[in-house]
Order: sequence, then C-alpha cells, then structure tokens
Amino acid sequence: MSHESPSSSIPEAPPPRRNFLAAAAAVATGAVVALTPLAAGLAFFLDPLLKRRPSMRGADAEGYLPVANLTELPDDGTPLRFALSADKLDAWNLFRNQTIGTVYLRKLAGQVIAFNDTCPHLGCKVDYKAATQTFFCPCHASSFKLDGERENLIPPRGMDTLEVKVDLENRVWVKYENFQRGVAAKEVI
Amino acid sequence: MLAGLSNWLDDRIGHRRLLHDALYEPVPGGARWRYVWGSTLVFVFVTQMITGFFLWTAYSPSTITAWESVYFIQHELSYGWLVRGIHHFAAQAMMILLGLHFLQVVIDGAYRAPREVNFWLGLILMQIVLGLSLTGYLLPWDQKGYYATQVATNIAGVTPGFGPEIQQMAQGGTGYGHHTLTRFFALHAGLLPVLLLVFMTAHIAVFRRHGLHVPHRFLAKPAEMFWPDQVLRDAIACLAVLATILYFAITRGAELSGPADPSEAYSAARPEWYFLFLFRFLKFEAIDAMGLDVGAIYIPGALMGIIALMPIIGRWKLGHRFNVAYTLGLLGGAAYLTVLALSEDKANIDYQAAVAEAHRDGQRAVELAQAEGIPAQGALSLLKQDPFTQGPRIFARACSSCHHYNGHDGTGRIVLVTTGKGHDLVSTPVEPTAADLGNFGSREWMSDILVNYHEVFAPVKNIVDGEQKPGERFLTGDMASWSTDNKEALTKNPEDLKALVEFLAQQGARPDAGEIDAPLALKGQEIFTGGMLKSGDALSSACTDCHTMKLPNAEEFLSENSGSGVPTLEGYGGAIWLRRFIENPGHADFYGENNLMPVFAAKLTPDQLDLLVRWMVGDYIPTKQTIHVPAVASGGGH
Repeated sequence: MSHESPSSSIPEAPPPRRNFLAAAAAVATGAVVALTPLAAGLAFFLDPLLKRRPSMRGADAEGYLPVANLTELPDDGTPLRFALSADKLDAWNLFRNQTIGTVYLRKLAGQVIAFNDTCPHLGCKVDYKAATQTFFCPCHASSFKLDGERENLIPPRGMDTLEVKVDLENRVWVKYENFQRGVAAKEVI
Repeated sequence: MLAGLSNWLDDRIGHRRLLHDALYEPVPGGARWRYVWGSTLVFVFVTQMITGFFLWTAYSPSTITAWESVYFIQHELSYGWLVRGIHHFAAQAMMILLGLHFLQVVIDGAYRAPREVNFWLGLILMQIVLGLSLTGYLLPWDQKGYYATQVATNIAGVTPGFGPEIQQMAQGGTGYGHHTLTRFFALHAGLLPVLLLVFMTAHIAVFRRHGLHVPHRFLAKPAEMFWPDQVLRDAIACLAVLATILYFAITRGAELSGPADPSEAYSAARPEWYFLFLFRFLKFEAIDAMGLDVGAIYIPGALMGIIALMPIIGRWKLGHRFNVAYTLGLLGGAAYLTVLALSEDKANIDYQAAVAEAHRDGQRAVELAQAEGIPAQGALSLLKQDPFTQGPRIFARACSSCHHYNGHDGTGRIVLVTTGKGHDLVSTPVEPTAADLGNFGSREWMSDILVNYHEVFAPVKNIVDGEQKPGERFLTGDMASWSTDNKEALTKNPEDLKALVEFLAQQGARPDAGEIDAPLALKGQEIFTGGMLKSGDALSSACTDCHTMKLPNAEEFLSENSGSGVPTLEGYGGAIWLRRFIENPGHADFYGENNLMPVFAAKLTPDQLDLLVRWMVGDYIPTKQTIHVPAVASGGGH
C-alpha cells in the first residue's frame, strides 16, 4: 500500500501496546457517543411497537358500539352497510362523533350477522352486488358469498365477521375490530 | 472471509486509502486537549441531525398541530422527552462550543495566513448555527418561542431598504400563521442543515489542507498521529459534552410553555439565554434612542464585521493583540449584559409572576390535553375554555381593584398602582376595599364569617367617598354585631361551630367542597334554625331570623326575609348563588340598598361570568398547579 509522506516530519510510532490501548479506548468512547443519540432516537421511533393506543373512545365496557335498529334490516337477509360512530383518537387529537368504520349487517332468522367491510386481502372496501348476491372487492376482484365464504382464492380468508349483540330495545351493537390483512388467520390488529 | 471481502471492496472503492488519509494525519507537537473543540462541534451537529430526524417523524408544522405534536412527543411518545431534551440542550451546547472554538482560534492566532478563508468559513458556519437556533425556537409554537421569534422577525422588518419584504418572506405573510411554521421548518430541517453540511465539509477540507495550527511553544515537542492519540482526546471530550447534555435533558428537560396565543399579552417574553445580551443591549435608553435599526442591525453588524476583518487586522504589528482584546471585550460585555438581564429579571416581581403564569399555562395545557384529548381546533381552545386558566385572569381584570385573592390579583401578581411619568414610574401596592376571596365558599370562609366577620370585611374600611366611609355600614351592621356577640359561645363549642359550618358548606353543592358529613350538617341545620347550642347556650338570634333560606331540592322555604338587605343563603357559595350575586349584588335577595359593589351583569359576558364562577367554586378538571405570588430577589417590583 502506497503512502504519501506528509510534508512535516513523520512522528515516531508510539509503543504498540500503548497505541493499541489508545485505539481501543477511542473506538469504545466514539461508539458510546455516536450510539447514544441514535439509540434514543430509535427507541422513540419504535413507539408504535412499544405502546398500544386506543383508536377510538365511546364504546361500551365490552367494546360494542350501537350501529342500527333491528327493524332497519330487511327480513330476506339482504346485507346493508352501516356506519359506526364514535370519538376518534388520532395521536394528540380527539375528534368527536366521527365515522370510525363501516360494516355490513344481515338479518337471518332473527339473528344478526356483521361483517367488517374491509377486504381481508389488501384492505380495500368490499361492495355488495345485489345482481349476483355477492360481496365483491373492486381492487383485486376478491369475491365472497353472502355468508362471507370465499368465492375465489384471491383473498386469503373469508370476510371478517364481527361480534354482535342485540339489546332489549332491539338496537344492534357491534364490536368493531380490524384484522391483519393478507394472511389466512384472522388476527386482531 | 472478512479480509477477503474487505479486499474486494477496497479494490473497487478504495476505502482504506480514504480511512488512512483521514486518520493518519500527523499532529505536530503532539495531541492536545486544546484541539478538541472542532470535533465536539461536529459531534453535536451529528447528534442534532440524528435527534432532529427522529423529531421530524413526529412533528407537525401548523398553528393547530405544532404545539400539539410537540406535546405528544414530550409527554406521550416513548422516550420523546429524551430525544427532545437532547436536541434542545445540544443546541445550547453548540452555542457554547462555538464560542470556545472561536475563542481558541482567536487566542492562538489561527486565523492568520494561510487560514484566513477557513476563518471566514467558520464565521459563516456560526451564522448558520444562529439561524438554526432562531428557526428551531419557534417550532414548538409555544408562548415563549412565539413571542421571542416575533422580536426577531420584527427586527428583520427594520432592515434598511427592504425590511418589510424580508419580514413578510420569513413569515409567509404579514403576520404569523401556518406558513410561518412551514417556512421556518423548511429552513430548520431542510436548507440550513444542508448549508451547514456543505460549509462544514469545506471548513474541514481547508483545515486538512493547512493542518492544525500549532502554537510555537509546542512545535519542539515530538509529533503524534491524529489516530489514535488525538481521536481519543476528541472522543473523551465528546463524551463529556454528551454527559452534560444528558444531565440537563434528564434533570431539567426541554420546557414547553402554553400554546401560542396571539390574543394574550406575554410579559415573560425573553430570547434564549445566548441572545439575552442583545435583548438587554436594546433596552438601554441611549441605544433605544438611536433607533431599532441602529441597535439591532448596524451595531451588531459592525461588531461582526470587525470579527470578519480579524485576519487582515492580525497582519499589523499589534493586530493580534487587538483581536484578542476585542474578542475578550465582546465576550465580557456580552457576559455582563447577560448577568444584568438575569439579575434584573430575578428582582422583577411582574416578570417572575409572568414566568410562573407561563409555566402554569404550559403544565395546565398538558393536564387538559391528557384529560380530554385535543379538539380539532387545537390545544389553545382547551385553555380558553378552562376555568382554572381564565378565571384568575377575569378576576384580575374585573374584581382585583377591590377584592384580592389570597393577597394577590388571582393570577399571582400583587395589585399595584403606578404613578409618575416616563422613566420615573413608582408602583405601590393597592389596599383592597372588599373581602379577600381566596377562600370564598370554603369551610374556612364560613367559619370566619361566623366568628371573624370583622376580619373578613376589614378592607371595606378603605372605601372612601369624599368625607364618607360608606363601608363602615358593613362593620356596624347586624351580622357584624351577631359575629361579635356569638364569637365566644361558638368558639367555646367547636363541635357546634363545625356543625354550622358543615351545614353552610353543604348549601352550595360546590365541586371543591369534598365530602359533606350529612349527620353533622343536620346538627348544623338545627342550630341554624333554632339558635340553640348543644351546651344549652342560646345564640343571640337564629340565622333564619334574618336570612332567607331554602334547602337544596326543598319545596318550601325554611325562612323568608327577602328585601331586607340580608343575603339569601339558599345555595350559598355555590355556582348559582355566586353568579346571581356577581350579576347584581344589589338585588333584593342580596345586599339590597346596603350594596356597595358594582353590577357586573353588563360588564362581563355570560362566558366570562361562567368561567369566573366555575373557577371560584372549583368546577374544573383537577390540577396540580398552584397560584401564588412568586418569591423574588431583594429589590422588589419595577
């Protein structure tokens, strides 16, 4: 390896052991000073993984939100889309009475079935097609039967059902949750 | 394997040569601590780049999200306080290190040929760092940064020739708004760091060209290599700087005062400490008289200009001595002005109260944001609708010329009257002319009304109307006599007094009353209506003999004496009673014709009245803040 001599005198090499200790100390100290701010910054950046924050406020103790009245649902089981309203939490903001999501409700023999209308494939909104009586996703053509089962293999799983309860005043309550998209298992996010 | 990879890479990019050139620079005269300043500055700048980037990931520049996002960084996000604390104190460390680096260069004469250009590059870097400080100070959009930066942009506005144009370009309009923040942020996180990088690279490149400037007395000593001897010293110095920054970040933390409020005067406005000398300089009458452009632009510009000429001045025989003396003189002057400003502020009770209020508003905004979330229109609206924040201000404005509140005006300021003209103003405390309302409606208040009536209403003696002292009627009236007559009996039977107080405290249903001891209050009610103590002693008269009274939720009046000038005790001390009283204290239900207090129904808006009353009855989100008169150094107020 070639090396240009500096114009001034070349310093005498210090004893190798001392030189090694100094080098090791310099590297160690340098690492500490450089990595401390970086470590603090990275820990800060990892906040979404370190802290889970609720995204809404206003659900009942079990997490249900009122969405519709039983009488609004057609008896023939045709799905209808309803909006869920709650206080939306977004970082520092609290937005009162926002639509925090939409769901499909079906009434079948007095029982109510609720689907999250987000496609389990990649998260577009699924539409109900009355002509074919299917749920159809406009993004990648995922298709589902009325009971939520897959009609093609584009989505990794059927439509995500949500827990439902009906109170004494015939109000329908839904526990609104979102699930990890793109995987076969239905995992709450 | 690793060596093979390194060889492969070196053949292609030549990193060994680069590294070698960077590290194996000989240091004539040996490694020394005095050479570390430049390296510490590079280190702090890198720290700012790193922490700044991460803060950027959570910051939102607009007038309704800037304070809010910084609040969220500081109080909610993981380690946000730490990252912001490092960024905040590293910025201040940078100013100090810059000063030390500059001082060392001047003292060693390192600005002389052939290093003139590098000296100038250094001065440019200094201006960029000042620009970074200035732009960064505004970004949290808190009261402190908002008003301090107003001063800076207004100074820019008196630049000769095109001042208003410069100011409006900086602000993004004729006043402060969203675009002030977006522009300052773009400068702070975009242009200025890039300029700093470019000029720093040039500074280091030119530095490497000429090598370290080594004072003559060291040249005889053996040279050492930059690596590892000097690098180790540099690294240890950086560690010391980091430790100092962390110490302040952890023990003090970066402050966040209340959200910027253009409608609220901010008398605690001060620049950051490193600009305090300039602030104090501009306050000199002689400087002020010369005009803002002279004091804030021409004189500092000329002083800076002389610094820029140092390499040329240094060629003359006594030039170097002049440069050193000039630098020390400037630093000494700046230090003197800084100390002067600090000591004046320390002795200024108005300023201290304003600082305490600013601090309280900042903490309060955080309490409110944590309790109820921030609405879309921003955190300022929380403070605007908060009784604890607004009540004292309304009290100070509307009530404190007669009533005091624990001895102050509600906001922690002594009520002063200022007389004199021009610079010979004299402020003297104002005697109250009505009861101190600091504990109005509390159990203590109820007890004092019963047994220390004269003390509570003593200030009414100060009401003077020509020859007349109309307040005397309150001190010679029926209630005053009742208090004198029954003080002994009541203090001898503390359980009965307690019962009576509990009964009275029950009436207002005040949120700050705590739990009411109902059985005790019931005993109090018997005394209230019967006037008989448990010991068998009789009070001179029962309360119901004079006062109108109706219990909460009762259909029937306990007693009716309306129009007699004796206040009703229905709901006494509570929000409804207090609001009606303030609206019209001369109403037949209250003091009637005896009244001396103005009618406030038209003087306060319904919203103001609501905030005032809710503050006085403790109807607000609980707080850890307290309001009191700040302690000041001897010297008193100005």
